[in-house]
Amino acid sequence: MTNGARSLQAALWAHTMSHFEDADTEETVTCLKVTVYHPSQLQSGVFQSIRFYSREKLPSSEVVRFGRNPGVCQYTFQDRQASRVQFCLQLFKKPDSSVLSFEIKNMSKRSRLLVGGRELGYLNKADLPHRCLVRFGQYQLLMEQEDGESLEFFETQFTLSPSSLLQENNGFPQSPIPEYGGYSPCSTHGTSPTEMDENES
Amino acid sequence: MERPFTVLQVSLHHPRLDPATFANIQPQLQHDTSPLLVGRGRDAHLQLQLPHLSRQHLSLEPYLETGRTLLAFCLKALSRKGCVWVNGQTLRYLEQVPLSTINRISFSGVQMVVHIKGGTSLEAFVCCFHLSPSPLIYRLEAEETDEWEGIPQEQPPPASGEQPAGHLGFLHDSSQTQTWNSSLQPSPGGGTEIQLQGEPPDRALC
Repeated sequence: MTNGARSLQAALWAHTMSHFEDADTEETVTCLKVTVYHPSQLQSGVFQSIRFYSREKLPSSEVVRFGRNPGVCQYTFQDRQASRVQFCLQLFKKPDSSVLSFEIKNMSKRSRLLVGGRELGYLNKADLPHRCLVRFGQYQLLMEQEDGESLEFFETQFTLSPSSLLQENNGFPQSPIPEYGGYSPCSTHGTSPTEMDENES
Repeated sequence: MERPFTVLQVSLHHPRLDPATFANIQPQLQHDTSPLLVGRGRDAHLQLQLPHLSRQHLSLEPYLETGRTLLAFCLKALSRKGCVWVNGQTLRYLEQVPLSTINRISFSGVQMVVHIKGGTSLEAFVCCFHLSPSPLIYRLEAEETDEWEGIPQEQPPPASGEQPAGHLGFLHDSSQTQTWNSSLQPSPGGGTEIQLQGEPPDRALC
């Protein structure tokens, strides 16, 4: 190899390495995996607005709302019994942590939200454990968090479960699901489907 | 019978005293139970015209603590570049802190004092804004060090019972302050001293 060829090869190598070093490091992104189940999901299509299996990227500062109103909620339930906004999720960062955490807030006046073993009333909020079952009415949502490095974005990914999440030996106790029917410490069992729009009452 | 709203009495001060900074603020704002956004952006509910402010700089989020009947509030920093100083604590992006009854907040040169007066309504809350020409956050003079001496606009702490005009929005002299008539204004004399003893100088605040 001539001296010219050697110096050309060295220049090319240096150029390649420089580009490699300058390239942005790809950050991993926090992902919330949500597995949903409703006993009449096949007949009523309560989850037909939700895009399953694909990952959706959202800004970390966004409040993610779940409910019946598509004008307000990112993820909607096609169900007259669901509240316009049933609950919301938002990210926050603990001062001593390098990863993001989720918190969940019940936005329904008439329906209690069961987060793991904890019952949340209207506007109550709680930190979301890394893996927990969220329930209201007959809805079951298994939420599992995968940590990532990015503070700017996070992702969601939905999966439809063909069977109850309580019956799959997931380690979740089969305690009674909070029913619709009044915002009181002692919730009563609903007798018939009612319009779950607290704003109209 | 309608339940009374929770009222946030918000006093604001910026050292530049530029009227444009607070030009978009209404004297009173009723807001639902979603987070109230503060920032430079058009989607901010409290819009401040400051170049170094983020479009969404912080939020005030109402919530209910379990077993309580009055709204509580949580402040979350939403600026990726700036920070927010709240009651002696510096918050960075997505960090949050629950607010107490009286709160001293600083961000992008803005001094903000938020006084929460609880109401039983869970539908919405009301913000009453007061502009103050004089600083809202005071600290006592440090005696053992001279590193604080060069700071301009240093003011001695208000003597007990002597509230300066503009302090916490309890403003009586209309010639010295910009404030709005509001049925929800606090009664005079109900002020609380805000002193930052031993805390960082103003320039160290966010």
